[in-house]
Amino acid sequence: MAQETTNFKQDILFHEFNATETDYNQRGYHLEVALEVNQVRKFAQKAYDQGFFLVFVTGFHVLPEETEEGTTSGLNGVYQFARFDRLYRIKGQVSVPEDMSLPSICDIYQGADWHERETRDLYGINFEGHPNLKPLLLSDEDTDFHPLLKEEKKLKSLEKVSWPPEALESVDADTDAKASSTDSIDS
Amino acid sequence: MLESDFQKKNRFFLNMGPQHPSTHGVLLIVLEMSGEYVLDPQPVLGFIHRMHEKMAESRPCQSFMPNTARMDYVCALPYNHGYVSLVERKAGIEVPRRAEYIRVITSELNRVASHLLWLGAYLLDLGAFTPILYGFDDREHILDILEDITGSRLTYCYYRFGGVNQDIDDKFVDSTRAFIKRLRKRFVIYEKLVTKNIIFIKRTENIGIVSPDMALRYGMTGPNLRGSGIAYDVRKNEPYSIYPEFDFEVPVGEQGDCLDRYMVRVREMEQSLRIIEQALDRLPEGPVRAKVPKNIKLSPGDCNFAVEAARGELSYYLVGDGTGVPYRLKVRVPSYSNLSCLPELGRGILLPDLVSILGSFDLVIPEMDR
Repeated sequence: MAQETTNFKQDILFHEFNATETDYNQRGYHLEVALEVNQVRKFAQKAYDQGFFLVFVTGFHVLPEETEEGTTSGLNGVYQFARFDRLYRIKGQVSVPEDMSLPSICDIYQGADWHERETRDLYGINFEGHPNLKPLLLSDEDTDFHPLLKEEKKLKSLEKVSWPPEALESVDADTDAKASSTDSIDS
Repeated sequence: MLESDFQKKNRFFLNMGPQHPSTHGVLLIVLEMSGEYVLDPQPVLGFIHRMHEKMAESRPCQSFMPNTARMDYVCALPYNHGYVSLVERKAGIEVPRRAEYIRVITSELNRVASHLLWLGAYLLDLGAFTPILYGFDDREHILDILEDITGSRLTYCYYRFGGVNQDIDDKFVDSTRAFIKRLRKRFVIYEKLVTKNIIFIKRTENIGIVSPDMALRYGMTGPNLRGSGIAYDVRKNEPYSIYPEFDFEVPVGEQGDCLDRYMVRVREMEQSLRIIEQALDRLPEGPVRAKVPKNIKLSPGDCNFAVEAARGELSYYLVGDGTGVPYRLKVRVPSYSNLSCLPELGRGILLPDLVSILGSFDLVIPEMDR
């Protein structure tokens, strides 16, 4: 059983992506994937091919950062996927570029349709390729009102709302303990 | 579906809701109709949107507790449960065993109450008036039991970080045992009255079939998913609290029609009763609330916690920033994903079948709108 779990993990480690295993007991998900904007659709397709279902799409707002490519918008898109057949949760996170748009995944996961409309309502992220990106939770008149955007003085940098880097390194040490806890669920 | 030339020329739009009795709340579905056939059902949400997620970002995490019960007001305790467990995971708080037992007993009682309400309301949608009277009669017993210890009948705020608000007493244990005995006898009545009723079967069998692939693409969870034959239950697949210690089954359906979703819920009530019985038998002594700091600090970083609510998987996703106020709290509610398949599922069906499908989804509108 332990062998099977290990193989499964290797299969779905999403080698093409910048993925890090995390401590499930601490964070409630197993794999964190840092995405580039052009990888979002590929990531969703791979998750679908491997039998994951979409838990949610959402965003959160941090202080814009200066990078080599320019200033970011400060918004982050968050995707979470899980499985019906075993315990494995994946979180994908992508920094939204300054033009405030992300590729839509609602042709891969039709369930993303509403989640993307909601995220546009609350944050103003424009999902390119979405067939019907009109307000869902907010009223039709409120197309320019995005309640979850924070005031500038309340914004914090991404670093300040992320796990400290040393927490990531310590994960490898207890991977075995985590694998055995996953086993007990399958049996 | 065959559409005559006359019908093609005379397509029309019909607003079902937001005050339609079978949408059970302020949900609007704009239907494009041809005769009695639905061509394109488009749900319109947000009539009671209250922006709970923004409220969570503007107050200490303790003060958000009452909000959790105001999303799914029919089955509020699992919402309490998910939120306290999330903060406990984030802040590393240990919960006394007795408190976890009480949480499981009350959550499962609440789940049975929710399924009983659904049973009555669904049959009312289909035109049978009597079952809702029986369902409410039984549900009333649960509300009385819960009122004694939680202080509320519907929007509970009973769990606390590190435990529950107050201990249960012998009266609670006795009345819960008496209720279980009573409900088992009532199941026999329900079976005779509803499950074997030919009109009920005609209205639900082979109607609104959700395939496993469709369930996956839309992220359906809960009894709606299990009706399609996939045994996904967060209590089993991602065990939390003390659920792994109990012996219970996850009922599944076969083909995913309305009848399967009905059968799954009915059989689930019996499993909930089994969990409650086992928990009452093994109820440990001890404190019901751990000592926790008055101002809980949420360390930087994100954290997820999923629980099985009556309608499916409820996930809380929290981003902390080192203060006591969540930087971001996302609530993933089951009914939202469950209903999102309606435009695909409801294409080309008869209007009465749409009512049957909506009822079988067990929607709670304030939960979807948040």
